[in-house]
Amino acid sequence: MAERRSGIDYYGVAVLLILWELAPRLGWIDSQFFPAPSAIFAEGAKLWADGTLVLHITVSLKRTFLGLLGATALAVPLGFVLGGWFPRFTRFLSPLLNLFGQINAFSLFPLFVLFFGIGELAKFSIIFWSCLWPILFTTIAGVQGVEPLFIKLARSMGGGRGALLVKVLIPGALPSIFTGVRIGATVAFLMLIAAEMIGASSGLGWLVHNSSVNYIIPRLYLAALLIALLGTMLNYSLHWLENHLIHWKTS
Amino acid sequence: MAGVVDVPQQIQTDAKIVVKAITSVFHLKKTRTEPAREFIALKEINLEVKKGEFLVLVGPSGCGKSTLLDILTGLAQPTSGAVYIDGNKVTGPALDRGIVLQGYALFPWRTVRQNVEFGLEIKKVPKRERRAISDNFIHLVGLDGFADRFPHELSGGMKQRVAIARALAYDPEVLLMDEPFAAVDAQTRESLQDELLRIWEATGKTILFVTHSIEEAVFLGDRVAVLTPNPGTLREIVKIDLPRPRHNSDTRSSAEFGWIRRKIWELLQNAPHESRHHLNAVPVAEAISPTASL
Repeated sequence: MAERRSGIDYYGVAVLLILWELAPRLGWIDSQFFPAPSAIFAEGAKLWADGTLVLHITVSLKRTFLGLLGATALAVPLGFVLGGWFPRFTRFLSPLLNLFGQINAFSLFPLFVLFFGIGELAKFSIIFWSCLWPILFTTIAGVQGVEPLFIKLARSMGGGRGALLVKVLIPGALPSIFTGVRIGATVAFLMLIAAEMIGASSGLGWLVHNSSVNYIIPRLYLAALLIALLGTMLNYSLHWLENHLIHWKTS
Repeated sequence: MAGVVDVPQQIQTDAKIVVKAITSVFHLKKTRTEPAREFIALKEINLEVKKGEFLVLVGPSGCGKSTLLDILTGLAQPTSGAVYIDGNKVTGPALDRGIVLQGYALFPWRTVRQNVEFGLEIKKVPKRERRAISDNFIHLVGLDGFADRFPHELSGGMKQRVAIARALAYDPEVLLMDEPFAAVDAQTRESLQDELLRIWEATGKTILFVTHSIEEAVFLGDRVAVLTPNPGTLREIVKIDLPRPRHNSDTRSSAEFGWIRRKIWELLQNAPHESRHHLNAVPVAEAISPTASL
């Protein structure tokens, strides 16, 4: 886990907030473009009260998690099969896989919409695609990176394929797989927001877009801040999960 | 392939381990500088280990001692010849042989106890029994109180003790050890050697121990098999008549210890001529010096 932050790090945020609050009030900047934090907060309270805020947040999170789960469910077993049982085939495939991994999921969004319509499936696809490749790559790398001595030892004790997989390969590859899940989740969340801005009727991305079209600037700021906050929380919770699942890792 | 003869599945013997005419040939692929060629790692190795004996294989790197150990483990197949344990031909790995490797190979995601119980899990021993057995062996290697620690919390010497406990826990009759103490500092190494002799005397296992240190070989073994490289050949088996129990403090300083050490050193030094220039012109005596007790 990251080292504990000292209080000093938060002073900067506090100072910024105070300046930001004062500047529009004192007429230093135009409150049309830079609404004060209090105005943004008031907007948040209003949306919270009528329930729409919770709705947008849960919709965005649900999409992220579903896409992430779907991608993990496919990429991890696939990575084990490719990396563990077909290393030569994997080497042969790797340029192709790398190319797929480089394709920005967002650029495929129009295609997803074409195939799956404007509904949930298109949004699921964009997240699924963005998560799939990093998780697949790190799973393959994780399986192939398992210490050969561990495998030698397990085999010397007469451990069969099943025991080798469950007792050596899976725990051995887990740290690497988790890195992929974390990268995937971060990218996916960014992609989702963008996708919601062009093809959705709910979610935080839609909230940004809708506020901008209707010129509700405090709400736009609110949505942007919430996206930053949720992204950070997502990353932290995955870190937390990682540290609890892979507690045996040094440092 | 040359030298492939039918080997019997069983033989009549009193010895625990019989290594019969083992030859191991690797086919090296063509590289930019060298054409494809055959590399003879082991040539016609014959060896018998008695039940309860402590036999040490000593030789410089490249003499094929690790290959021989892999064949004994059942992880590698010889090109010709066979290994018999209790008269039965070895065809693959099994729990009648425990192995301890140089790099500890402790699973970092398992505690000391879980590492020790690894073989028992593969053997499908019930959990309650596993616990009693692991307690016993953790105690035997002197790690009481460390059962729930993870490997990264242990020192090198402690890790190697765990590896020994893990190899002993599923009660193999033979313990195969591949340079187990090569990675620890000199002092830890000596105490682990004392410890291993104590454990060996307490359990009566048959031990086959591979090392490149002549001192270690002489100190530990009942007999020392001297291997010379290129091709890996068994040069001679030296009987070590030093009294037991041995302790690092006094055994090493005896005149006889020095004499045997010298004898083995000369055996390695006067390796047949063809094997010398293969070691890139480094005399064997330098590759494995008697002072390299490490």
